[in-house]
Amino acid sequence: MQIDTRELACGGLFVAFAAAFAYGTVDLPLGSALRMGPGYFPLMLAIILGVLGLVIIFKGLGRAPSPIGGVPWRGLLFILAGPIVFGLTVRGLGLAAAIALVAAIATLASARAGIRLMLLLTLSLTVFCVIVFSYGLGLPYALVGPWLAPFLPGR
Amino acid sequence: MDLLQNLAIGFSASLDPVNLLYCFLGVLLGTLIGVLPGIGPTATIAMLLPITFGLKPETSLIMLAGIYYGAQYGGSTTAILINLPGESSSAVTAIDGYQMARQGRAGPALAIAALGSFFAGTVATMLVAVFALPLTEMALQFGPAEYFSLIFLGLIASVALAHGSVLKALAMITLGLLFGLVGTDVTSGAQRFTLGIPDISDKLEFVSVAIGVFGLAEILRNLENESDRQVAIKKITHVWPTRDDFRQMVGPVLRGTGLGSALGILPGGGAILSSFAAYTVEKRISKTPEAFGKGAIAGVAAPEAANNAGAQTSFIPMLTLGIPANAVMALMVGAMIIQGIQPGPNVAIEQPQLFWGVITSMWIGNLMLVMLNLPLVGLWVRLLTIPYTVLFPAILVFCSIGVFSVNSNVFDLYTVAFFGLVGYVLIKLGCEPAPLLLGFVLGPMLEENLRRAMTISRGDWTVFFTRPLSATLLVIALLVLVLVFLPSIRAKREEVFQEEG
Amino acid sequence: MKNARIVAVVAALMAAAGFSGGAAAEDYPTRPISMVVPFAAGGPTDTVARLVAESMSRDLGQQILVENVGGAGGTLGASRVAKSDPDGYTLLLHHIGMATSAVLYRKLPYDTLNAFEYVGLVTEVPMTIVARSDFEPADLKGLIDYVKTNKDKVTLANAGVGAASHLCGMLFMSKIGEQLTTVPYKGTGPAMTDLVGKQVDFMCDQTTNTTNQIKGGKIKVYATTTKDRVASLPDVPTAAEAGLQDFEVGIWHGVYAPKGTPPEITAKLSAALQKALKDPLVVKRFADLGTAPSTEAEATPEGLKTKLTSEIERWRPVITAAGVYAD
Repeated sequence: MQIDTRELACGGLFVAFAAAFAYGTVDLPLGSALRMGPGYFPLMLAIILGVLGLVIIFKGLGRAPSPIGGVPWRGLLFILAGPIVFGLTVRGLGLAAAIALVAAIATLASARAGIRLMLLLTLSLTVFCVIVFSYGLGLPYALVGPWLAPFLPGR
Repeated sequence: MDLLQNLAIGFSASLDPVNLLYCFLGVLLGTLIGVLPGIGPTATIAMLLPITFGLKPETSLIMLAGIYYGAQYGGSTTAILINLPGESSSAVTAIDGYQMARQGRAGPALAIAALGSFFAGTVATMLVAVFALPLTEMALQFGPAEYFSLIFLGLIASVALAHGSVLKALAMITLGLLFGLVGTDVTSGAQRFTLGIPDISDKLEFVSVAIGVFGLAEILRNLENESDRQVAIKKITHVWPTRDDFRQMVGPVLRGTGLGSALGILPGGGAILSSFAAYTVEKRISKTPEAFGKGAIAGVAAPEAANNAGAQTSFIPMLTLGIPANAVMALMVGAMIIQGIQPGPNVAIEQPQLFWGVITSMWIGNLMLVMLNLPLVGLWVRLLTIPYTVLFPAILVFCSIGVFSVNSNVFDLYTVAFFGLVGYVLIKLGCEPAPLLLGFVLGPMLEENLRRAMTISRGDWTVFFTRPLSATLLVIALLVLVLVFLPSIRAKREEVFQEEG
Repeated sequence: MKNARIVAVVAALMAAAGFSGGAAAEDYPTRPISMVVPFAAGGPTDTVARLVAESMSRDLGQQILVENVGGAGGTLGASRVAKSDPDGYTLLLHHIGMATSAVLYRKLPYDTLNAFEYVGLVTEVPMTIVARSDFEPADLKGLIDYVKTNKDKVTLANAGVGAASHLCGMLFMSKIGEQLTTVPYKGTGPAMTDLVGKQVDFMCDQTTNTTNQIKGGKIKVYATTTKDRVASLPDVPTAAEAGLQDFEVGIWHGVYAPKGTPPEITAKLSAALQKALKDPLVVKRFADLGTAPSTEAEATPEGLKTKLTSEIERWRPVITAAGVYAD
């Protein structure tokens, strides 16, 4: 028998989410339909989601696989890393360095960008953002964070 | 004639050169900032609030209001150009607007959005001026039961948002509803699905989820095509809408304006529903529903008009009652207090030049926006010619800063990454992200109002049917349900053939 | 305005550069100060903070930037400040929730009484007991009687767990010895909308939220929760006058610094705060909000410390009895 792997994965993912959310309601009081507790509504939704997921799987059985297409693994890695690195460094390194890091990481996501483009983009984006966000909009974040303090020339 | 007198007071205030200048500054800043992906009007107004301390009260409110609708204009621009909605309202515009851009019709899409918004803004401003007070009384009739029925209707209708499988759209809405429940349960105060992380103990941040499932996922999808030199965006054929485009936008703009104006008045977040609702209506009544999701003009014009009309009329509860309907209005109320004006039912009587000045300035601001934005269309369109390798790092940087500026919380950035991954995987598996976002926004409202209505009625289910407004809405929901499923039986058969073929 | 900002940012850079030398307390402040408000921008607490920050900035010669770090009933912002460097450049402006969250939250990421230095009290916003405009009882006594005989019908709104209206509502219920059906909302805005729209019966909330609705005749008022009548509502009796003794609640606001901040710095900040509270503009705006600045004796580290300690003990039995927790 043929199986549409895309539908299988899709339904499976929904079922997995449903199970995770249902598990999350275990500790929550359910209450009754007339006096709903915090767990009632989400559990109902999780059940609905699970059923929908199963129906999607069921309908995928006996069908030819749908094309999924390639996955840009390199892009996936670097694009998702961008915001995370920004989050990890913006308080410690400050806004300027965090911006530079994200810009550099993001350029790495593309196979086409060379080292020259990366440096150019990093520099120009950092300068642009510092001017717009720090000076223009006055975001209340330190440009240079405490981690960098020891490396700066003292007074 | 009272109204004429009031409008005269209003225009004399809003046409004051200083106010005019700040109105222009407001819409200009709003547009520019709205165009930066990830930074929405709430963050912008919060950042610029201190600047207005030195201004006269009406000047500062005129400027802040300008930023608000300016940013919404700008937000639609990024939604259309790079599939990055900064707000729930422009999430709908992104569906067809971005498809138009990919087909080389970014110019017409932007122009239609601008013109539709201007028309809607004009009509809605008139409505505010003429009916502000009676409309407020009507909006107050909306209790928890009515809100529940309205949101329920919205969810039923939103299945139309998907242009693929109805089943998957339903699953995405449900998943969105569940993600929307993460955080503190308002009714009991219990923490749900927070995994013990204090940063999400209130809720997941909307901006993070939206940027993740739309923005990041879109960048990833574009990176797929990198190896084969197939450029995602086709050559731009013309910058301005054709006569045919104009003909196609009239109906949707009119209907969108009506829906948006009506829903925007409701203080409980009716404006959120307006663009979703307008899109749904267009798709239902269209002779070519299959064109939706593939760059339909009505799919841009209607939600844009609705969204702008709703944005204008959402000032009504703020101005007449002093009760903010959303985060932006809360900031406006804060600005008024800092200026020494007590927002409340008396503002219209005690501060006529402020009340009517702000209302008339909204129309002037909309006029400025359309004059500002139409010439800019050419410039924005040219942005698309920037090589993608250069464009997406910039998008990622702006998004990171924008998300961070919402709550100054680094955890929101990790949320972006998580939803970027989830969104991309789901898109890969044939699921559209828009219904998920709608569910996310409406989930907490649906549950809250359901349980609140039940608490007030002491567990009596019949309130939903005995209150006339609520009952009417539920009957409409039932009708929509029938409408959705009847044609979809036919559509589904076609879909099966398509997918197998 | 723009120039001031550029100067401020340059100053910040220079100050950051001077970090390794150790910023001397005498020079303080040499760069902008961040004042964390643990609630969303635009709310009553944010407004209080911005008014005070603006005035204190002028005195200190450095801008105080208000940073909104909302979430988890204000504990997220408080915990951010508790973990910040104790150099006087990160401050916290929090309200009564500082005391009540110590009881409402069983596991807080900081120790309320030992994680902060105190700068001083800012203001105490009075509360009012208000109801929908067509609610039957005519006065506070009538309200208490009505509530006792109709407790299955009456609904008491609040703005969510830990909100001022929630605290006041709990105190009211414990005073009259009844448990009523509460209807929680997400914030004051929607709760007030439903009160004006007559969907719920009554509520107890800050004057900052209720004064204008009262003056506009959109809601009914029974009493204020203050010792003396509130200046902006001269016709409204205090709870004691109206027949409910010992029902004084105020939403007091205080400024804190992380533990270990040098005493010279907190002293400088206290002095600036006291000056700000005498600033005619601040006094005027506070009066518009229906509140008054704290006295000079209260706007001191000791004043705030005393208040915080006594308030924690005051609310502990009320919250424990109600059995509500936020986590």
